[in-house]
Amino acid sequence: MAAPAVSTKKNYLTALKEAISEEMGSNPDMLCIGEDIGILGGAFGVTDGLQAKFGAERVIDAPISEAAIVGVACGMCLNGKTVMAEMQFIDFISCGFDQIVNMTATYHYRTAGEVAIPMVIRGPAGGYGGGALYHSQMNEAWFANSPGLKIVCPSTPKDAKGLLKASLRDPNPVIFYEMKELYRQRAIEEDVADGDEALVPLGQAQVRRKGESLTIVTYGNNVYHCLQAAENLDKEGFSAEVVDLRTLVPLDQNTILESVKKTNRLLVVNEAPRTCGFAGEVLARIAEEAFEHLDAPPSRITRLDTPVPWVKPLESFVLPSVEKITEAALRVCRY
Amino acid sequence: MASTATESDQKKKPRPTYTPGPYSAKLTPEDHRELLLQLYLARYFDVRLIKEKKRGRLRGTLYSSHNQEAIIVGSLFGLKPEDWISPIHRDMPAFFMKDLRSGWRNPDRMGMTVQEVCAQVWGRATSPGRARDNWSHIGSKAKHIIHSTSMLAGTIPAACGVVYADRMNGGDAVCLTFNGEGSTAQGVFHEAINFAAVHKLPVVTVIENNQWAYGTPAELEYSLEDFARRADGYGIPGLIADGQNVFDVYDKISEAVEWARAGKGPSIVECKTFRAYGHGDHDDDRAAKYRPADEVEEGRSRDPIAVMKKLMVEFGTLKPDEAKEFMAEGKGASEVTNDDFPPQVVDYLSEGVEFAVNSPEPAAEEGGMWVFKEGH
Ligand SMILES: Cc1ncc(C[n+]2csc(CCOP(=O)(O)OP(=O)(O)O)c2C)c(N)n1
Ligand SMILES: [Mg+2]
Repeated sequence: MAAPAVSTKKNYLTALKEAISEEMGSNPDMLCIGEDIGILGGAFGVTDGLQAKFGAERVIDAPISEAAIVGVACGMCLNGKTVMAEMQFIDFISCGFDQIVNMTATYHYRTAGEVAIPMVIRGPAGGYGGGALYHSQMNEAWFANSPGLKIVCPSTPKDAKGLLKASLRDPNPVIFYEMKELYRQRAIEEDVADGDEALVPLGQAQVRRKGESLTIVTYGNNVYHCLQAAENLDKEGFSAEVVDLRTLVPLDQNTILESVKKTNRLLVVNEAPRTCGFAGEVLARIAEEAFEHLDAPPSRITRLDTPVPWVKPLESFVLPSVEKITEAALRVCRY
Repeated sequence: MASTATESDQKKKPRPTYTPGPYSAKLTPEDHRELLLQLYLARYFDVRLIKEKKRGRLRGTLYSSHNQEAIIVGSLFGLKPEDWISPIHRDMPAFFMKDLRSGWRNPDRMGMTVQEVCAQVWGRATSPGRARDNWSHIGSKAKHIIHSTSMLAGTIPAACGVVYADRMNGGDAVCLTFNGEGSTAQGVFHEAINFAAVHKLPVVTVIENNQWAYGTPAELEYSLEDFARRADGYGIPGLIADGQNVFDVYDKISEAVEWARAGKGPSIVECKTFRAYGHGDHDDDRAAKYRPADEVEEGRSRDPIAVMKKLMVEFGTLKPDEAKEFMAEGKGASEVTNDDFPPQVVDYLSEGVEFAVNSPEPAAEEGGMWVFKEGH
């Protein structure tokens, strides 16, 4: 496909940038806080130009203190603000863990609804880039297991913008996983709307590809691996339906169920470790809700139960790949 | 005053054993009496709840503020109604004593009612948090009290955020956070104070240094002669107050609050005190063994009510006869009776207890509610 001379298409990172800038522009009570997000404009440039536009009071360069970043943001929200808190890498979120799961996630619950915390914690996440142990993680399961947090993971520029805008308008805390390998991917650039038109509501999965033979449920980077695997399956005479969850909490269980009722076969793919990972949750729910619709044992492809190693052969060994997904999908189809 | 007194005058009337600081020197005789009443009130809350527990009417743990009441009372007394506080487990009375100055029964007061706090202790639906978490884990956005959690030092970052937001809105509110000396070893304590220092936030960190963190003595929590010196590392003031003397607490906290309100930033005020009993009421027996008896005796020897009365007599704001009324000081919960407290204190708290006892428990299905805010 020939690119037009001047492309209006936007990449994933630009889409995120626009979401933050638009929301800052329309919501005077919104602030941003994070390491190097102001003067530098963020390690990856997601907040580039933001401080120049909105000032240092609203775009705060925080000390290297993830617990304080989250906790301070929580206090701001308690006092009427909306806050975007950036984790320089989502791996570092563990340093703010207590402030997220015990302080922020529980606030609405423990105050019997008196307080809501409209906070978005976002950051670059995921493997496939040789980021090694501490710059490759997907740790969404920690938070899915902590009631009170919404969890979002977009795979396209449109979703990146639309879901981030929706997250910034949600009255609940949201953990927003950005796929840093997709930030500047040319292949996925697309037209992205402005303003309210861009909004994508939380809690709605998207069928990326229609099919009849099996349902592949996934999100984030793995959406593209699954779409490629689906093409491999075509050659083997099977058509895969690929469901991109986009939001993990709240989970759009209906879209998965509808698809499984049609295909009667399920494979779930995610790049987090296997044990107690989100893929396991999807399998469990389908086993509970649609057992009688299944013609094959539901299956999953995940990261091995290991950290994410650095060099390519090691990293590829532990993460889901097109080959692993294709193989597993064929097994499910041929069962 | 002192400059006009003659030598012989001074002999007749001995110089007070404590020289009031610039803030407490301005307190009126009425203020003195109010402060004394508030000390009684905080003490009565404590001993009354221990009695109620012994009668088997309460579940959970009471972290007694016995002997530490001057810190709560003296700190709160200098605040403006719209200021924020962030109390912890040992500051249960602070929830209803905030802004008590605006009138104990003033419905517009910027503090919880004693009814609400008792309802919380009794686990009733009329508690501000509908009894979803226990004891001191309540708060009120409306009354500017940060909701406390179990996580020690865990609300100091929120205190920073609250006043940051307030400052953006053109306010000048200060936030007092209360912390035990043991909690200062938490990483988040450092992160939050450092953040406050960098942004010159009006956060006053009150350290209730009662020498013990559960079963661990202070020297195993930090290695400073005076904890207040920790402030030096953040480039902020570190003040020391005699935590048994409500005037001194009031002076030092007021100084810190004025500093904060003037935009000069955060500070730490170390109030030296002593935990009179166990960590919680479950720990009284063991605490009697793990703490040396002479240390405990010495630590309990300066009851804040007694210290206050003695100074008031010296200042001439309490008559010696009056000082002998209501002898709650120095008595444990099992020794003290209602007659040891001014009737208005007993009545006030009894209204709270009455309200709590007659309030319903929350409906069971509330356990599944309010995980997320819905319908936006
Ligand atoms: C993060 C955390 N760790 C441990 C505890 C258990 N705990 C509750 S109070 C306490 C001692 C606190 O000592 P200090 O801060 O000096 O306050 P004090 O009880 O003496 O007033 C401990 C260990 C807790 N609540 N939170
Ligand atoms: Mg202590």
